[in-house]
Amino acid sequence: MSEIKTQLVVLGAGPGGYSAAFRAADLGIETVIVDARDTLGGVCLNVGCIPSKALLHVAKVIDDAREMAHHGVSFGEPQIDLDKVRSWKDSVVSQLTKGLAGMSKMRKVQHVQGYGKFTGSNTLEVDGKDGKTTIKFDNAIIAAGSEPVSLPFIPKNDDRVIDSTGALEMKDIPKKMLVLGGGIIGLEMGTVYKALGSEIDVVEFLDQLVPAADKDIIKVYQKYVKDKFNVMLETKVTNVEAKEDGLYVSFEGKQAPSEAVRYDKVLVAVGRRPNGGLLDADKAGVKVDERGFINVDKQMKTNVNHIYAIGDLVGQPMLAHKAVHEGHVAAEVIAGKKHFFDPRCIPSVAYTDPEIAWVGLTEKEAKEKGISVETATFPWAASGRAIASGRTEGMTKMIFEKDSGRVVGGAIVGINAGEMLGEIGLAIEMGADAEDVALTIHAHPTLNESIGLASEIFEGSITDLPNPKAKKK
Amino acid sequence: MSQLKDVLVPDVGGEEVEIIEICVAVGDKVEAEESLITVESDKASMDIPAPFAGVVKEILVQVGDKIGQDKLIMKLESAEVAEEDAKSEDKVSKSEEKAEKPAPKEEKPAKEETSKTETKAAEVGKVQEVQVPDIGDAADVDVIEVLVKVGDKVEAETGLITLETDKATMDVPAPFAGVVKELKVKTGDKVSQGSLIALIETLGAEGGTQAEATPAKEAHEEKTEAPQANAATASAPKAPPVPHHPSAGELPRTGKIHASPSVRRLAREFGVDLAQVKGSGPKNRVLKEDVQSYVKYELSRPKMTAGSSVASGSGGLQVLAPPKVDFAKFGEVEEVPLTRIQKISGPNLHRNWVTIPHVTQFEEADITEVENFRKEQNAIAEKKKLGVKITPLVFIMKAVADALKAHPVFNSSLSESGESLIQKKYYHIGIAVDTPGGLVVPVVRDVDKKGIYELSEELAEISKKAREGKLKAADMQGSCFTISSLGGIGGTAFTPIVNAPDVAILGVSRSDIKPKWNGKEFEPRLMLPLSLSYDHRVIDGAVAARFAVHLSSVLGDIRQMLL
Repeated sequence: MSEIKTQLVVLGAGPGGYSAAFRAADLGIETVIVDARDTLGGVCLNVGCIPSKALLHVAKVIDDAREMAHHGVSFGEPQIDLDKVRSWKDSVVSQLTKGLAGMSKMRKVQHVQGYGKFTGSNTLEVDGKDGKTTIKFDNAIIAAGSEPVSLPFIPKNDDRVIDSTGALEMKDIPKKMLVLGGGIIGLEMGTVYKALGSEIDVVEFLDQLVPAADKDIIKVYQKYVKDKFNVMLETKVTNVEAKEDGLYVSFEGKQAPSEAVRYDKVLVAVGRRPNGGLLDADKAGVKVDERGFINVDKQMKTNVNHIYAIGDLVGQPMLAHKAVHEGHVAAEVIAGKKHFFDPRCIPSVAYTDPEIAWVGLTEKEAKEKGISVETATFPWAASGRAIASGRTEGMTKMIFEKDSGRVVGGAIVGINAGEMLGEIGLAIEMGADAEDVALTIHAHPTLNESIGLASEIFEGSITDLPNPKAKKK
Repeated sequence: MSQLKDVLVPDVGGEEVEIIEICVAVGDKVEAEESLITVESDKASMDIPAPFAGVVKEILVQVGDKIGQDKLIMKLESAEVAEEDAKSEDKVSKSEEKAEKPAPKEEKPAKEETSKTETKAAEVGKVQEVQVPDIGDAADVDVIEVLVKVGDKVEAETGLITLETDKATMDVPAPFAGVVKELKVKTGDKVSQGSLIALIETLGAEGGTQAEATPAKEAHEEKTEAPQANAATASAPKAPPVPHHPSAGELPRTGKIHASPSVRRLAREFGVDLAQVKGSGPKNRVLKEDVQSYVKYELSRPKMTAGSSVASGSGGLQVLAPPKVDFAKFGEVEEVPLTRIQKISGPNLHRNWVTIPHVTQFEEADITEVENFRKEQNAIAEKKKLGVKITPLVFIMKAVADALKAHPVFNSSLSESGESLIQKKYYHIGIAVDTPGGLVVPVVRDVDKKGIYELSEELAEISKKAREGKLKAADMQGSCFTISSLGGIGGTAFTPIVNAPDVAILGVSRSDIKPKWNGKEFEPRLMLPLSLSYDHRVIDGAVAARFAVHLSSVLGDIRQMLL
């Protein structure tokens, strides 16, 4: 058994983990990073955000080409070579993981492959392909992420039941697929498979797809996809029976079909569970709650002074960009800086078609928190760019604090919504108010100008729409 | 027909005053001299009366606004003209009032005209309970006044009732605009947090009424100011925060800090509570420079200027800023800057005055003999042309050195931690010297080892240097004890301020011949008044009395110093 002594060990090489490790190395801390995978990047790069975006790009091109047939340009039915699509997706992933490996080497961050578990307050044992390694550390950052939740009544070891990882493997294109869970991951994968030719049903237990987002935004989405997906809300799956010719799924609830429905595949996307419980953290004295989350303070410290935790396993939202910032804070604190994780907002994006994106407070959150807000919504039917792109279903909604007019949130549904979110996030962080955003000149014609225009609606200076606040004098 | 006239704020003493009550509503008929609004300055509250009789047409201010002289507060329709059709007018204004009620707040660029159409139906007409908010620890607080009556239309933040705790009185403001439907308390009732005060039918989420009808710009500014002012009123019973940086918001702010991520990070690094920092950027944004200057100021706080308060931690003192007075209003004035020495010594004196618990012990010394001796010696010195003149102060210095030796606690300083005494084995005495530029304290070293002539010469020399402003910093350092003699001028006693890090100071006033009972008869004796101020943290009263007696006794018979 080999032994390594290091100032810092980072457990998990997802975006949070590698960002923490790189930041620490840049601050002069000797760093070792442990991950079960051979490559850095974790779920996000290997089996999450990145490969799914590659496939969504494929889906978008297929959909756009189809759409063009209505506007005078026909490409014919797409010929799909699944192996080639898959290898393209894999090449995207490998390009990024190779880049990471290079940057890791450059920073002299040592990558130990294997599954790491604590054996004491300053020791970690890594069980890897090349045997066991004991790592003695001064500080540790736990960045072990999360994994898809599986459901008890769903057959295991049946390759027709897949989770997000399985969906990205793209073994085949099922004729009929059930997406279990109407959240971001399920809808994104549903979008991909729909474009590739699958018939998609989506079942969601709650009364709304993407439950975290505001209803008015989701309504737009739901209307757009009503012919693409068969969505069953307030409905749950009670049983999945594996038969020779398919998976027979029984439903219960508001929109449940009366009889069991046969599917070729079932994609389980009902959420992710933190991996806090899989690390023997108790041996290091780190408290893990019954769900697998690890509690941390604003400097990402656990209850043990020299052990930090970041990313999915410290709490919602389970998003890579949140983990990255937390990772930086943890590394900087270890390096002696008095930094804190102190954001005003964390953006969320569903890369569906159309995209759903929001940042800061949602309207319902504001209501729960008793914050008095006023919203202004710019419908894309009035956007020249949206019309020219043939995608007028979108809308941009800005949420302002009532008294100050300060931007506290924003939500966009429509193509490229995710790309537009940055401005709203910056506005929130900088404490900009509606007037600031309205007076910022946005390029015309862009989808992005809808943010400025929504702010003008609030300010009462809008001219691209009838102005209810116009001062008639 | 009728004529609309503006009502302006009269002279209210040159300062901004806060509106604590609006006594009339739109549509009310008022007599001349009837109160329109009540304002409160730091000295008193006063009513602003109607300058003429009339009907209130428009109210342009709201409770919590700060107003100064000549600010437009409302518009009245003057009575002389309105009288004739008062009846119909009354009806009109009533109906207008009704129409105005639902004016929704969302008309941010406020309109002069009242909106009749943009009613938010969902928010109107809902009767809501109003409860006593968090009023600190106080429970069973007396209701001393009910400010509204059933049927009154109230603005958000209008006072509903006034409570009096043992610490303060405060108004409980309406949390939203509406019409008072039912009052659940009366004067004399006792209430606690959560007690039901009234039922109010809402007009709009936050109610927009006449107050919204101010010109857009003002309305915008006031909107941000007013809630803060009211927050201050509501939390009145809690001790207000210790004043810190002068830029620390005069109005306590509630978590809505306007600072970018980099500024928040900087603040975190220094442990600065951003709520205490007033932003100088656009829209009060806290800039990096604001955090830096706040930190700088906080670090230098012990050396603050005479005008500001000394505060350390939560136990610090809170001192009101001196009132701003325009003296020129009362006669001719001239502004003369403080001298350099005054500017330097002022903060030190202030610190010593507020941080050292002073006690002053008074004593008289019989200096008849020592004065005779001194005069004899001066006569001899003159004959011998020694060029030295002995002053009474030299004997006092020698006596003090003797008393310091006998009572070493007077020859000490408190350690920085405040937990031990630094006992000095040398006897350097500071002498306060009045100069044209101000007070300076040169130090005479090793007083115990020097003779009367030597001390006299040295004293003459440093006094001269002091008057000519030629003292060096080293000349003014290292004192153990200070003597401040005003004997040459007059006075019977005074209370000198201990010159930290000394722990005591002796004030000397003018000697005077007094009748003293010698056992058989009154005898004329030359008595010297002594005022001994000391730091009571270090010196007990009994020790101080002994020190004073020792001094007086040695001065009464200087031969004792030889013993």
